[in-house]
Amino acid sequence: MTALTAPTVDQVAPGVVTRVRPGELVGTQKGILGVSAVALVASIVPAFLGEDDHARHRVMFSYLTAYMFALSVALGALFFVMIQHITRAGWSVVVRRIAENMAGTLFPWMAILFAPVALWYHDLWHHWIDAQITDPTAADYDSVIAGKSGYLNVPFFFVRAVLYFVIWAGLARYFRGASLAQDQDGDPQRSLKMARMAAPGLLLFGLTTTFAAFDWIMSLDPHWFSTMFGVIYFAGGVLGVMATMGLTALYLAKKGYLGDVINTEHYHDIGKLMFAFMVFWAYTSFSQFMLIWYANLPEETIWFAHRSEGTWNAMFVTLCVGHFLVPFGFLMSRHIKRNTKTLAFAAVFMLVMHWCDMAYQILPNIDHHGFHLTWTDITAVVGVFGLFVAMSLKNIIATPLIPERDPRLAESLHFHNV
Amino acid sequence: MTSITVIDEPENPLFRAPLVEGGKNFAEVTALVARPTESTTPRAWFLGLGVSIAIMLNLFAMIGYLVWTGVGVWGNNVPVGWGWPIVNFVFWIGIGHAGTLISAILCLFRQKWRTSINRASEAMTIFAVMAAGIFPAIHVGRIWVIYWVFPVPNQMAMWPNFKSPLLWDVFAVSTYFTVSALFWFVGLIPDLATFRDRAYAQGRDIAARIYGFFAFGWHGSNRHWINYEKAYLILAGLSTPLVLSVHSIVSFDFAVSLLPGWHTTIFPPYFVAGAIFSGFGMVLTLMIPARSWLGLHNLITLNHLDNIAKILLLTGTLVGYAYGMEFFIAWYGGVEYEQYAFTNRAFGPYWWAYWTMISCNVISPQLFWVRSFRRNPVVLFIVSIFVNIGMWFERFVITVTSLHRDFLPSSWGYFSPTIIDVLTYLGSFGLFFTMFLLFAKFLPVIAISEVKGVMPEANPHHGHHGDSHAEGHA
Repeated sequence: MTALTAPTVDQVAPGVVTRVRPGELVGTQKGILGVSAVALVASIVPAFLGEDDHARHRVMFSYLTAYMFALSVALGALFFVMIQHITRAGWSVVVRRIAENMAGTLFPWMAILFAPVALWYHDLWHHWIDAQITDPTAADYDSVIAGKSGYLNVPFFFVRAVLYFVIWAGLARYFRGASLAQDQDGDPQRSLKMARMAAPGLLLFGLTTTFAAFDWIMSLDPHWFSTMFGVIYFAGGVLGVMATMGLTALYLAKKGYLGDVINTEHYHDIGKLMFAFMVFWAYTSFSQFMLIWYANLPEETIWFAHRSEGTWNAMFVTLCVGHFLVPFGFLMSRHIKRNTKTLAFAAVFMLVMHWCDMAYQILPNIDHHGFHLTWTDITAVVGVFGLFVAMSLKNIIATPLIPERDPRLAESLHFHNV
Repeated sequence: MTSITVIDEPENPLFRAPLVEGGKNFAEVTALVARPTESTTPRAWFLGLGVSIAIMLNLFAMIGYLVWTGVGVWGNNVPVGWGWPIVNFVFWIGIGHAGTLISAILCLFRQKWRTSINRASEAMTIFAVMAAGIFPAIHVGRIWVIYWVFPVPNQMAMWPNFKSPLLWDVFAVSTYFTVSALFWFVGLIPDLATFRDRAYAQGRDIAARIYGFFAFGWHGSNRHWINYEKAYLILAGLSTPLVLSVHSIVSFDFAVSLLPGWHTTIFPPYFVAGAIFSGFGMVLTLMIPARSWLGLHNLITLNHLDNIAKILLLTGTLVGYAYGMEFFIAWYGGVEYEQYAFTNRAFGPYWWAYWTMISCNVISPQLFWVRSFRRNPVVLFIVSIFVNIGMWFERFVITVTSLHRDFLPSSWGYFSPTIIDVLTYLGSFGLFFTMFLLFAKFLPVIAISEVKGVMPEANPHHGHHGDSHAEGHA
């Protein structure tokens, strides 16, 4: 029995083009790369120019918002790959390669994109980094923050960051590598091994994602705390990856790839998962808000008090309506999920909303009295997310478009919703 | 009875393992599930029912004593105003989550293996919610005015407090019970018709009439099936948010307060994960013996047990994540009361309860990293008992450790249950097992029509070349 290998793609799907034809898509990929490179320069350089500290810091916060947005999508892709393996999913085989290639950007690209953040750490997290704050003799001494210095200190902060990237890089490379190796030999045992690896992988993923969200977003306001915080970041990321994956598949179909392979049935499932994680985000965000509002403890409500000032209140309402109520009605419909145009619209809309959520979590730490959109908010998201897309596309061009000899490929090809 | 072959082959990703083993055909599946209702009842069933009823009568006696005397018969004191009754309520309502999760959420996830266990789990859910509902009801003190919990217009212009999560519980639990019961009943209709037809053919007229009454005139026409499938999917969609909302609202009972150890934002999903964990624990506690007594090894296979074990590992670890987050944020938050509450949980007078909880809920399911433990019914049964114990202790730890040391040391106390507490809790098991034994005797413990639907013969392409595993979702 072990001698059996999975059939080749020609046996299960004759005539399907599984590789990008030489020279195709490269132009687009280079174009996105070029635009994002320019945008990155425009988003990073101003942080080093000018005398106005507040303006420079605002640039850094734009970048952090864009970075946490793109990172959540890349992490969501890693989660998607692992959850497909651990559940032995059949339907998703034809879209899994896209997620593997997106997760593949976690290293080196998302790590490289972290460099500016690491460079600006003192300005971004100055609330807990200032030496004065943990010095009992200083005028600025803050006993609460001093109490956290066992966790919130610069060396440990960077040790953790390195640890996160090592774990993410290891997981992303392992799952992409094993899947690519299976394209060659069709060994079904690789699927079993990946399923087994996904269990500890998900455990590590859950812990690292939680603490990354604590470190890089929650500790911007170091007094504040919420046990739910990591879960909300995770939910937004999975929503983001479902949207990005759907859009990528639609783009490939438009260019003449996998049009018959990733069909309405798969888009329907992507739409369902988008809906599910949109609702899950709303559930976790509501729980966090409602419990803090209800108990009305000053050390907790301060976070929402800042976020009710000026136009932040409008952002709060935008998230309630745009991140939950409207998509809840819109994505509920089977027809909308199965129509590629409406699904694409929903995906773009949800990505915008996910960015708004990141902005709502991060930017009030600098825009104290209301949301002021700056041009670096735009260039940073174009730059960071653009580079993520460009590098994902580069990975997609370099590899077969689907796991060619996954033992469940045939099941995925013939999949249909009842 | 044919001999039972237990299949324990290594997994091969090229093929989906069959969900029904032993080469059974449709007729044999029906006969197997119908057997307990049609054959002579074993003496052990009467014995079990007798013991369960005796314990249940003890519950009624305790309730009678309580109503007659007052809630002072319990160990509740100042500061521990919420004692065992709330612990028991949350314990039972948590168990009542597996059934609807299996029928609704696993249905949406196309987990076809659920068909073998959904019927009994749903029944378990309903009985557990019944047991749960008793405790808050008898806790109100003056049970004869229990209808005051409903917003009934009245001449005293007296309304329940809509801002209280205890009132939200009334709505959440009653909705959950109604929808779960409806879902269970809709699923039963085709099988009840099968039982009706078999009873009629065997000349058991009274049974045929009773099954026939509840089968609503089902005769399996295309039209019936179309309506049935639609109703089932809609109920699955409606039940899915209910599975999450009920225990979220139960968690609000604690989390909206200011009490250290209760007020933390992760409570809703943490409680849901714990509820699913405890529910699946009870599913194993019931199904492992039922599987052997009723000879259902070919329907509830080792693969099914393996999957349940994985869910226990997942949810047990998620609960462990929540325990860890609570502890970390209690330290990180820098609120001294919060820090004290957690140190006190782990190392204070109730340290034994805390570590029982950690050992049973977080450590014991880690055995299921090993495949052979996941496929060993004895190990599974033992761990399932640990899960039941651990999840009771979780609620005990949350309720009692946070209450027993109030903000002022002058209002510190220690909670000890009375014999009435113990006997009432024990009695709720009597009710639960009485109901379950009656169910196992008179109703199909396995959803016959759904199991048939996931057998290869149900696939319209069955027998065609090259489509052997296109439809399975193990």
